[in-house]
Amino acid sequence: MADLIWRRLAQMVLIMASASLLLFAIFDTEQFRKQIAVAELGGFGAAALSEGDYQAWIAKKGLDAPFVERYLSWAGNMLQGDMGFSMEKNTEVAGLIASRLHATGTLAFYFFLLMVPISLTLGVIAGMREGSWIDRAISIAAVTTTSIPQIATAVLLTVFLSLGLGWFSAKSSAIGPITFAELALPVLTLLIYDVGYVTRMTRAAMVEVMSSHYIRTAVLKGLPRATVIWRHALRNALIVPVTLIFLQLNWLLSHIVVVEVFFQYSGFGRMLYEAAIYGDIEVVQAATMVAVIVAVLSQLLSDIAYILLNPRLRVAR
Amino acid sequence: MNSPLPAALPPAVLPGWRRPEPLTVVLLLLAFVWLSLSTYVMVPDRLGVAHRWLLLPAIPAVIAVHVLLLRMFSRSTVAVVGITMVMLWILVAAAAPYLPLLDPNRPVAPYQMPFTTKNGMTFWLGTDMRGRDILSRTLWGSQRVLVWGITATFSAYVVGAFLGLVAGYLGGWWDEALSFLGNMVLSFPVMILLILVLNYLGQSGFNIIIAVTCSSAPAIMRIVRGLAMDARGRDYIQAAQTRGESVVWIMLIEILPNVRGPLIVDACLRLGYTTVMITTLTFLGLGLQPPDPDWGLMIKEAASSALLWKFAYMIIVPSIAVSTLILGFNLLADGLRELSQKD
Amino acid sequence: MTETRNNPLVHLLKHQLDSGKIDRRHFLRLAVTVGASIAAASTMAGLPLPAYAQDGNLPFPPADPNARKGGILRIGQRIAKLDDPALYSWNDGANQSRPITEYLTLVGPDNVARPMLLESWEASEDLRTWTLHVRKGVMWHNGDELIAEHVAFNLRRWSDSKLGSSNIGLSSFTALSTETGEKDEKGKAMRAPTEGAVEVVDSHTLVLHMSRPVLSLPQDCAEYPTQIVHPSFAAPFSDNPIGTGPYTLAELAVGERCILKRITKTTDGKDFVYWGGDVYLDEIHYINYGDDNQPVALGSGAVDAIYELTADQVELARSFDGLTITSTATAQTLCCRMQVDTAPFDDIRVRQAIVKAVDNNLIRELVFPDGAVTAYNFHVAPIQPEYFELPPLVRDVEGAKALLAEAGHGDGLTLTIDVGNTDGPWQQAVCESIRDQLADAGITLNVNVLPTTKFWEIWTKTPMGATSWAHRPLGVMTLGLAYRSGVPWNESHFSSAEFDAALTEAESVLDADARRVKMEKVQRILQDNAIMIQPLWRPVFTACTDRVHGYTAHPSRQFHVNRVWME
Repeated sequence: MADLIWRRLAQMVLIMASASLLLFAIFDTEQFRKQIAVAELGGFGAAALSEGDYQAWIAKKGLDAPFVERYLSWAGNMLQGDMGFSMEKNTEVAGLIASRLHATGTLAFYFFLLMVPISLTLGVIAGMREGSWIDRAISIAAVTTTSIPQIATAVLLTVFLSLGLGWFSAKSSAIGPITFAELALPVLTLLIYDVGYVTRMTRAAMVEVMSSHYIRTAVLKGLPRATVIWRHALRNALIVPVTLIFLQLNWLLSHIVVVEVFFQYSGFGRMLYEAAIYGDIEVVQAATMVAVIVAVLSQLLSDIAYILLNPRLRVAR
Repeated sequence: MNSPLPAALPPAVLPGWRRPEPLTVVLLLLAFVWLSLSTYVMVPDRLGVAHRWLLLPAIPAVIAVHVLLLRMFSRSTVAVVGITMVMLWILVAAAAPYLPLLDPNRPVAPYQMPFTTKNGMTFWLGTDMRGRDILSRTLWGSQRVLVWGITATFSAYVVGAFLGLVAGYLGGWWDEALSFLGNMVLSFPVMILLILVLNYLGQSGFNIIIAVTCSSAPAIMRIVRGLAMDARGRDYIQAAQTRGESVVWIMLIEILPNVRGPLIVDACLRLGYTTVMITTLTFLGLGLQPPDPDWGLMIKEAASSALLWKFAYMIIVPSIAVSTLILGFNLLADGLRELSQKD
Repeated sequence: MTETRNNPLVHLLKHQLDSGKIDRRHFLRLAVTVGASIAAASTMAGLPLPAYAQDGNLPFPPADPNARKGGILRIGQRIAKLDDPALYSWNDGANQSRPITEYLTLVGPDNVARPMLLESWEASEDLRTWTLHVRKGVMWHNGDELIAEHVAFNLRRWSDSKLGSSNIGLSSFTALSTETGEKDEKGKAMRAPTEGAVEVVDSHTLVLHMSRPVLSLPQDCAEYPTQIVHPSFAAPFSDNPIGTGPYTLAELAVGERCILKRITKTTDGKDFVYWGGDVYLDEIHYINYGDDNQPVALGSGAVDAIYELTADQVELARSFDGLTITSTATAQTLCCRMQVDTAPFDDIRVRQAIVKAVDNNLIRELVFPDGAVTAYNFHVAPIQPEYFELPPLVRDVEGAKALLAEAGHGDGLTLTIDVGNTDGPWQQAVCESIRDQLADAGITLNVNVLPTTKFWEIWTKTPMGATSWAHRPLGVMTLGLAYRSGVPWNESHFSSAEFDAALTEAESVLDADARRVKMEKVQRILQDNAIMIQPLWRPVFTACTDRVHGYTAHPSRQFHVNRVWME
């Protein structure tokens, strides 16, 4: 167990080091420097610069240092908690990421708060009686909601619930504390897709457990159905979904981008997207590293959860 | 799950539909349809007059594939529904140039509701904010999403399967190095990876192929690697090794066909996922560029200028189009999985 | 204004007015351009005082007697960083800091430049010497009084190309600088302030010695990157926002929000007195909404006013209740230009064929059914004072085909135009419309849509591109920037000694009627050389809720919030 975690951690560090190098290499091109100049000075402003002015400008921004030098100093600073400076937002990257992670964390909290119970319940209900009408209804609904891209959900929800019925805010204003009305649509958009997915996975796990030998034996022994499900089936059926839930954190990091961009929610995903478009290198690098850390950690948590929940594996290790 | 059908089985005495031949026929026909569609969409200006008639032979091919697939998978209702949804869109994509549609890019009369008639033209699904016919844009739009989505997934499969075979069959340092690279790429959240790659390469359909390959190939590699490792220990591979067959031959001819079951299911799921990704990227302005009709683009344009109940048809129509296609892929995957479990 | 009486140019104009050479409206515009106050000019012309002149010599609309003090105005626009006002890349940053730092002059929604931090100005007859009178009693947020030396600091700053500001491209500041002799490998010269060009006469008077005649000084000083900063300025502005305006920066989160509050005390503890009269709003909140989201944010009540409605969004905004939509004509346009030194455009017959095959009026009707004005490929707008009306161009497909055949493209021609939708998706619609029309003449035009930032990286390099040119109050301002041989923004690589000479001649004539006569030649050369399809002058639409008063569309999309009030 501990051995596995150590191996994982070592691998994680190695992965992050390589990822950071890759990221740095990608952004160390003339094309990106040009992109920053255009973003900072505007198309007309950048075109007015002579080559000499442009080089002077690049030097002023500290972009002319050699690759290795910049990489090492950046990596060193990162290790000391200094994530750099955002050219676009004129602020420390660390503070920016912290505040944006907080906003996204709020979103993610309500998302998980609703997603976990809903999808586990639906999945278990559907998987309990494979082939029953309720199983079919839930399965069809689940596969349908996982087939609607989030942009479509987001746009349609805005039209119906916000502009049509006026229940929620169409966009999340960035002023003041985040309110329920502002959170509703982004959370709902994420839920509609992901509840379907986790429900399907839970159902599949449940179906597998229900058709396994020991459950069949338990039923044949004449134990009440409820007891069989509560005592025996659930524990085994939930192993996969629970480990999967940790991985949803990784999924969320990916899908939060479009949701935040559409609803203009000032979160982590939108920050990363805007930084990439603008060419705000240090933000992209730092934020991507944070995303990679979260992704790798969630993978690790998922593995640990799998081992802890699975008695056979626990004994084996 | 994995039901290894011996590949080198002699042809069946009776031409039964459950034998390998129909699958081969289907694959060949699909390859033909896909090639015609891709050529039509990707290099329209290199074809000259041929461009006009290029897709005509694809139409009967699509219908034939549909019939064959329906007969092959008739035991699963889910698969049948999925196949029908997907094949209908492929049929639309192939037939779009020959349908009596208005020019999808020509502005006629803005903000016409569905079923209105103006200047002798009937807009069955209305027109958008620039006055372009939505029916025409929706039907034409199927071409781009199908061509780029399928090509990108296919390319990811070629790369992923090859690397997976190498890692799984050769093992050792190959495995270590490739798995590490794969894990590194997989540690990036997919959307972030796509944004980084597309922002680096620039926005175009071809770059979407590269981006999707980058993000999907490691996951495919992981699956194929597992399957290949499993196959390595089997008798038929040992036999092939004893026969002195080359490594490439064993990987491609002996192993790959025998692990196709789970791969095809995964491919269908991935096709749906790639479609979602392409639509999303287009919506973010990082994917396919205007002006040609595209579902993600239609939703994007409507979201900025028609976000209102009375204009909702502009959003609902492309949303339904893209959702039915993805649903088709998902149902197909479900149906195939169901069938493989029954076997 | 005592200066007006001594101003020889105003007297010349008065003479022309009296002898019937110019009408009163023109007199007013010209007299103000050369430095007369509106009030003085109106009096001389015997006109009733226009609305703007009622509040003394202020550049704002008159105070509304019903105006109510207080309230928070929420404006939806992109939130940019406030680093260095001279380096702003677009209106967003300038709009955020406009209530904090002010300009020497202000161009109103009516496209007339009025003195703001200046009290008045006058130009010498040869337009090479300009005298600026700095407004008295203007207080900085740190308690200092605005003096001529502060203005000189800003002018010198702008005329140094090391700053990296696009201001150096404005003719006034080009004329205040000289080439340093340094040249880069591409042959572009670096510029530095000319010694003695900006002369401080006394505490409130400056004299500018220009290296060539300049007539657009008042307009140049109202361009968005010319906000006047305190000499103690050090970037970023947002860390130490010292200005002369009625508001100060309370909070800035780029990409999220920018909050301005009324300033009551100076940083050294004195009561702050604003020079510009009544200001009504307590706070201004700029909230980040991209173009795509602004109308919905407005319609759903998230903001009270927005930066702009794109043409595609006007219908959507009309569908919401309780909104006021305003629009104004502008000299904002799209130039689908060809590089005259790149094949196949190096053959003038090809360019002529392309221009002939397109009906500009049809494009305007399709893309902007209301509000836009058709343009005819010479880049001077009817709302600009020196506009000379040339006869409309007529589409001639047969003529285009003949020219193409003559140029050796009888069997068709395939072209690609790059468009970045930098000013909204209407640009793409224009290109698509051109594509459809060119098809009739056997030309296949591929419309290559690029993301905005990517487009700005290539806009001066692409052989055929659709570039958005911003509104400028005078026609000659744009022509000098875009079509003079070898200037940095000359994206078409058009180079004609004849044109340069004609333009220089026009630029040295202050009188708009006389200049208009000169403009005929300038415009004709540009049109005859067929370097672009410039189909229309777009209107600017904006919207606010009914509770907001005094918020109107501005041709340069500037927010002037001094007289805005809320119910």
